[in-house]
Amino acid sequence: MTERVMTERVLNDELTAAIRALFPRYPTRQAVTLPALHLVNARLRHVPLRAVVEIAELLELAPAQVQDTLTFYGFFKQDKPHGRTRAWVCRSISCALRGGEEILEHLCERAGIEPGETTADGRLTLEFGECLGACDFAPCLLAGETLHKDLTADKADAFLDSLE
Amino acid sequence: MATVTIDGTEIEIGEGERLNGIQAARRAGVEIPHYCWHPGLSVVASCRMCLVETGTRNAETGEISMLPKLVPACQTPARDGTIFATQSEKVKHARACVEEDLLINHPIDCPICDKAGECHLQDYYFQYGQRSRRADLRPFTSRRRPVGETVTLFVDRCVMCSRCVRFTREITGSSELMIVARGNQEEIDVLPGFPLANKLSGNVVDLCPVGALGDRDFLYHQRVWFLKRHEGVCTGCSTGCSIFVEENQNHIYRLKPRENPHVNQWWMCDDGRYGFHHVHREDRLTAAERRGDDGYEAIEWHDVPDEVERVFGASRTAACVVSPHLTVEEAYLLCKLIRRRFPQAGLFLGPVPVVGEDETFPSGFTIHAEKCPNRRGVEEVIRHFAGDVATLDDLVDSRDGGLPDLVWLTGGDQQPSIDEATAARFDGVAHLVVQDLFDSPCWHRATLRLPGAAFAEREGSYVNFAGRLQSARWAVRPPQGAWVEGDLYWRLLELPGMYRARTVLDEVAQQIPCFAPAAGTVAAEGVELDVSETVRSE
Amino acid sequence: MAEFEPVLLAHIERSGSHTLDVYQSAGGYATLRRVLAEMQPHGVVEVVKSSSLRGRGGAGFPTGLKWTFLPKDHPGPIYMCINADESEPGTFNNRVLMEEDPHQMIEGAILACYATRATTAYLYLRYEYPLCLERLQAALDECYAAGLLGENILGSGYSLNIYIHRGAAAYICGEETGLIESLEGKRAWPRIKPPFPAVEGVFHKPTVINNVETLCCVKHIVERGADWFKSIGVPPDPNNPRDAGSYGPKLYCLSGHVNRPGCYEAPLGITCRELIEEFGGGVWKGRQAKAAIPGGISMGLLTADELDTPLDFSGPGKVGCLGLGTAAVVVMDETVSMVDFLYNSTRFFKHESCGQCTPCREGTGWALDMLRRIKAGRGRLVDLDLLLEIGDSIGIIPGTTICGLADGAAWPIKNAIRKFRGEFEDYIKHTNPQGYMVTDPVPLELAGAHE
Repeated sequence: MTERVMTERVLNDELTAAIRALFPRYPTRQAVTLPALHLVNARLRHVPLRAVVEIAELLELAPAQVQDTLTFYGFFKQDKPHGRTRAWVCRSISCALRGGEEILEHLCERAGIEPGETTADGRLTLEFGECLGACDFAPCLLAGETLHKDLTADKADAFLDSLE
Repeated sequence: MATVTIDGTEIEIGEGERLNGIQAARRAGVEIPHYCWHPGLSVVASCRMCLVETGTRNAETGEISMLPKLVPACQTPARDGTIFATQSEKVKHARACVEEDLLINHPIDCPICDKAGECHLQDYYFQYGQRSRRADLRPFTSRRRPVGETVTLFVDRCVMCSRCVRFTREITGSSELMIVARGNQEEIDVLPGFPLANKLSGNVVDLCPVGALGDRDFLYHQRVWFLKRHEGVCTGCSTGCSIFVEENQNHIYRLKPRENPHVNQWWMCDDGRYGFHHVHREDRLTAAERRGDDGYEAIEWHDVPDEVERVFGASRTAACVVSPHLTVEEAYLLCKLIRRRFPQAGLFLGPVPVVGEDETFPSGFTIHAEKCPNRRGVEEVIRHFAGDVATLDDLVDSRDGGLPDLVWLTGGDQQPSIDEATAARFDGVAHLVVQDLFDSPCWHRATLRLPGAAFAEREGSYVNFAGRLQSARWAVRPPQGAWVEGDLYWRLLELPGMYRARTVLDEVAQQIPCFAPAAGTVAAEGVELDVSETVRSE
Repeated sequence: MAEFEPVLLAHIERSGSHTLDVYQSAGGYATLRRVLAEMQPHGVVEVVKSSSLRGRGGAGFPTGLKWTFLPKDHPGPIYMCINADESEPGTFNNRVLMEEDPHQMIEGAILACYATRATTAYLYLRYEYPLCLERLQAALDECYAAGLLGENILGSGYSLNIYIHRGAAAYICGEETGLIESLEGKRAWPRIKPPFPAVEGVFHKPTVINNVETLCCVKHIVERGADWFKSIGVPPDPNNPRDAGSYGPKLYCLSGHVNRPGCYEAPLGITCRELIEEFGGGVWKGRQAKAAIPGGISMGLLTADELDTPLDFSGPGKVGCLGLGTAAVVVMDETVSMVDFLYNSTRFFKHESCGQCTPCREGTGWALDMLRRIKAGRGRLVDLDLLLEIGDSIGIIPGTTICGLADGAAWPIKNAIRKFRGEFEDYIKHTNPQGYMVTDPVPLELAGAHE
């Protein structure tokens, strides 16, 4: 870890401005915690501890308060960025009944990773998800902001092949 | 007045009182087990150990209706007509379930855990649990990680009561402690680079109901069932927190705060909490000595009173410096002693150590900059004997007639209170009597050296910043060779029997009007005096 | 069944149904205009109250009554939280409403805020609905541009802001006070009650929290009247003075082993079988239904013999289920193992338990440990008794937890084991012939836990 990386701010002007822009919406700065985490995560594909400290400064909170909230969700990675595509494969009852678990297993096998892991080339992170609310299209996965519906092994393969 | 019924026993609650079920039950002599509730913290009702049955009695018809579901006693107000049932089968079953739940993943570390003997989980298991394990067997982990300089964390022992986290958020406002993750993966932690570092950090160990948080100062030093606790008062600053001094075989192992709603609530600061090690320092002064031509000669302990008499006889004028670390009783006896022999003797308040500024935490708890316990008490005693309060500066700065034949200096603090430059002013004094704990510039100049007592060895009273007088019991005996100041003055005054602070305090209460409320008995929480506010010059 | 005109899904087939233009061309926001011009807030509350509308989020609490819990003459601010955190497995009707007809919900929300004098509304939207986010934000932008939101709406003097607040994939954020804590920026540990949100909610101010579908109903009730609403659905049981009835249209989600999974609208009170047969095209692959979840997984299970249970607020309870919940039906055919079902359920609840109270935090973990071990072929008969003991002891119904997640975790355990006990026993005996009768503790099953 070089000194430069340690001292360089994670929240650049743009991120800071975006977080500040949310202040008028809420009577407390603490309420901006989750939106701030999302903004950082959208940009960096993770929320490193450095960012937690900077967000806390901006929100006038103790860093531990921000970290406490962050870790509750199990959503934000902290050690390193997730893949360029992050795909949640639903494992709740409706998808499981229509082959969702098998799709996840298939994807994991083809990508060579376990759920929660990222491929070595950084293309893909696979996660299991709880009910995505798309049971009418079960089994399904959410990749980034796109819902992939009515999955089959073939469609799953096509999805993998489409990744950059 | 409100009537509340607990397990058939009726108790009365006063008009302005707001009690929950746990507090109301205590009045009826019933202890409702609980982990997460604490009177000084917010109510979260998350541990579910205090579940009881509740209902109401109709005031007119006397009809009782109980709620079908259990409620946490900690969040249920005790109002007129409220009924609590704490011994029903439903309640017992709920408690047994919570105990069993907490033990599913809890490493049974009792043989190596500091908390054994004062652990809620242990105690409640024996009282309310007593099931053998039914959950699956697994290898237990018992990880330890540091959370700060004063406190260490045994992560897997935690029962997620969240008291420690709430303490750093609500009491100190420093919010170093946090919970990470969700569900049964939750752990207490601190963020790297932001350790638990507030000045009240040691209190989280008191709060922890199990052995998850450990006091690094005390860790593995002593089993708690060997400790004897004595009611004391912290002498670190003028807050005067009520404390317990816990010792075994004359060795102090730890200090704990004692609940006092008027002074420190349930807390004490780290300086006070860990500020007892000086009592057992190797370099405690233990030898009484007189200065002869060829250096210092030892005096036998039992010969000290005679030596003092000889010094009195050889002096015509005297002055006495009364340390603000002495108790009210000791200050009174010393002044009485000196004035009896030297009616014109000057009485001077010893140096009052001030470090930094007063520090107040969000809960209102204050650490005072004045680092002595009894300035106000000593001032009132001096004022009684001498009319007004002169300080050490007045003594050493006086040019008329120079210094008296005899100067009696008292200490009692962890650090020497008089520096080299000031001590040098006593170089010409014929008889310099010094009572203290440790070597100091004055000790080097003393003609009569008398080793004195540390705070835990004294018995007596202190008056804190707010004018509250609290009485402390002695906890340990001083090292062989030292005279506790109170004992020595009592002996020199030729009083019968042994020094009893209570007897002296009664005389003080009689002689000095502002101490009148202290006559008879002083409650454990102390008593408020109406003492005058001295304007201090910096 | 009598011909039923869709109300909530009336317009979703239209192209551009999510846009303001299309919404207004069908009469949208006319009700809002009328109300702002002619009605007082308490008048709106009265209409909703007399309609006996019950919340569609899962608890079924009467909406109008909930609104009356707000303190009178409070200086404000009063907040509204729109609970769009729909996360109950099997449920997706809110998603459909927000994607296809967001203005319907928004109009309902503005009416609800006007009624309760709320001046700021937070739309807590679950993370996993990106299309909803896109459509809702666009719809809100359209409203602001058209003067339907913001300062001095339509010159009425009433001002309201609606902000979207995106979640981060935690089921407990759908619990009222879990949502509030999450919105405030903290971990989503539900609060103890009292105080209830109407008295002390988000930012310690009076707060109304309503479900998306409920707000859509509000719009229609104010538009067409309480009597119209009560002409649909099931009136209260005359023998039960505490029954508030099951009025109004309901969106039923149907998924699992059916030919046509989807979101269907019908009057409250259709039976499970009717939903499967007449809307869902029947059980797939020519098979028979073995069991069905009646209202989201928290509600438990109906057996094949219980499929004629009416899906209203009181029907499922009569056959031992927790209630109507989100009215999300998930069908399981005869090939489904109840052991697999229960494993899936306990895994979900253990993952989602917030961890605050001891019985739920440890109980859901213990239950999953047992199901994992049973599934792996090391189950014991005594495990079934232990699971039932856990199921009977955790939840707000016995009073042992702070929120209802524990009840939701418990009900599938209780229903599955009690209604399919034979199958569980057979599975255990068959897969663990050497050890099924052991009662002493056995080692944890470690394999198979990416949980």
